[in-house]
Amino acid sequence: MDIYLPIAEVSVNAPLLVALGALVGFISGLFGIGGGFLMTPILVFLGIPPAVAVASMSNHVAASSMSSVISYSRKRSVDFRMGGVLAAGGAVGSVAGVEAFRWLRLLGQADLVVALSYLVFLGIIGGLMFWESAGAILRRRRNAPEPPRRERRPPWLYGLPLKLRFPRSRLYISVIPPLLLGAFVGVLSAIMGVGGGFVLVPAMVYLLRMPASVVVGTSLFQIIITTALTGVLQAGRNQTVDIVLAALLLLGGVLGAQFGARASARFRAEELRALLALLVLLVGLRMGLGLFFTPHEPFVLMSGNG
Amino acid sequence: MPASLPPAMTPAPHAPAVSAALTETNVRVNSDFRGDRIVLYGAVFDPLSRPSDVVVIVRGPDQPVRIARKSRVAGVWINSRPVVFQGAPGFYIAASTRPLDDIARFGELRRLEAGVDHLAMNAPAEQTTETRYGVRDVVVSRLGADYLDWRRAVVRLKTAEHLYDVDEHGVRFVDKGLFRAEIPLPAEAPIGQYTVRILLFQAGQPVAEKDRTLTVEKVGVERGLYLWAHRRPWSYGLAAMAFALGAGWAASSAFRRD
Repeated sequence: MDIYLPIAEVSVNAPLLVALGALVGFISGLFGIGGGFLMTPILVFLGIPPAVAVASMSNHVAASSMSSVISYSRKRSVDFRMGGVLAAGGAVGSVAGVEAFRWLRLLGQADLVVALSYLVFLGIIGGLMFWESAGAILRRRRNAPEPPRRERRPPWLYGLPLKLRFPRSRLYISVIPPLLLGAFVGVLSAIMGVGGGFVLVPAMVYLLRMPASVVVGTSLFQIIITTALTGVLQAGRNQTVDIVLAALLLLGGVLGAQFGARASARFRAEELRALLALLVLLVGLRMGLGLFFTPHEPFVLMSGNG
Repeated sequence: MPASLPPAMTPAPHAPAVSAALTETNVRVNSDFRGDRIVLYGAVFDPLSRPSDVVVIVRGPDQPVRIARKSRVAGVWINSRPVVFQGAPGFYIAASTRPLDDIARFGELRRLEAGVDHLAMNAPAEQTTETRYGVRDVVVSRLGADYLDWRRAVVRLKTAEHLYDVDEHGVRFVDKGLFRAEIPLPAEAPIGQYTVRILLFQAGQPVAEKDRTLTVEKVGVERGLYLWAHRRPWSYGLAAMAFALGAGWAASSAFRRD
């Protein structure tokens, strides 16, 4: 059963899209991530114009984050104040990202920047995660003790002005690092069509030193606000949001996420992290290494009429 | 648009003529649109029954083409500046009874824009760079010695997307003087007014022609969403996001476990 997407202007197989949405939803529920980094490349591979895929993913990511943030907020594991500061940075970042993406498309370099961003960010994050989780697995096998966690927070976090109290995170820090972090994730969300959880979560743990219990919920809260803004901006500036596409993905994604969340209880945390790291690395390499091979077709048509 | 025939050749006695009709003049693009086949029937009227060839050219609305060439910079393949070709049709098929080169000479085909190699994609003769939408150095021009490579690449890539085609046996005579052509229209075909030009050739000369129009339009929900997204993009964006957030909220309540 094929369905014609009104904005993408291509015909796609609807059950296939729902199934892919469910698969990515399952993975996102399993690992507690948005899954945008996986879905956007798949959509492009299926022949959906990259600009439409990136923009429509904002709606999809906002919706799936919305469905999970509610349960986190019931467990009081969302730091709304920290989320708000991150989102304020995210708003600036997403405006800048949408404009940058528009400009890159006109220059004809959007594909290059998207591919490089995937290679660099997924490569670094996936590599670090794999290193950390493989170490944890090896230590457990050898029954070695956990390395003592450095509780001392980096001094630069405290030297900066504009300090604010974040009671739920038990932090009293400057708002500048979270603002910058939010802005960076906002740009990524506009350019890569991702929520940015894969950058936010490690940064909140290792840079801001937030307690692990509030990290995922707060990151989801910030992602909702940033992607909601990105989605509206993409629709308003570039007319590239396909609501039919987002709805199809959502249908499968919501179901898949619920099963994924249940399945995650059966695995150890470090094994899940190692698996996720491999997945992240694989996607990054798949997207980025194409840049280094001699293309079969030296010419490429640019989408959009510029 | 391609040049028309000189009017002088119509009124002669025993002049051949051609007529044709599309079985469908409106292609309606709705949610289950997967492409279509346009069927055309026509007749050749020639009292002297001279050997005839028919060429059917279906041409979609013109769309400027932006194309870039990949080149290697520091080990990485990156796109060059995009080059804009004006006057390229968004869709083009030339169907004929025989290969076009056997029907008429190069000059005639070029004048009639019959065949993908003869499309008048007019990149202006002199090298000019313009500033467009704030981007400097967009080349809208002839590309020196490489010009043909670029032109062929446009045709090759459009052909790969099923948007350009040449069907050397797409027109068949089904009876004396009666011909039939079938034009595949892919799901990617652009929306808009198409022209269908039916040309009658005798002894290498175009002797009669007929134009028909074909409309490809979105209908129903697809049309509503498309127009909304393009005419009122901000309200569409807000509504789409409200729908997405609402759907996420509804899903979480549906799966609430406590």
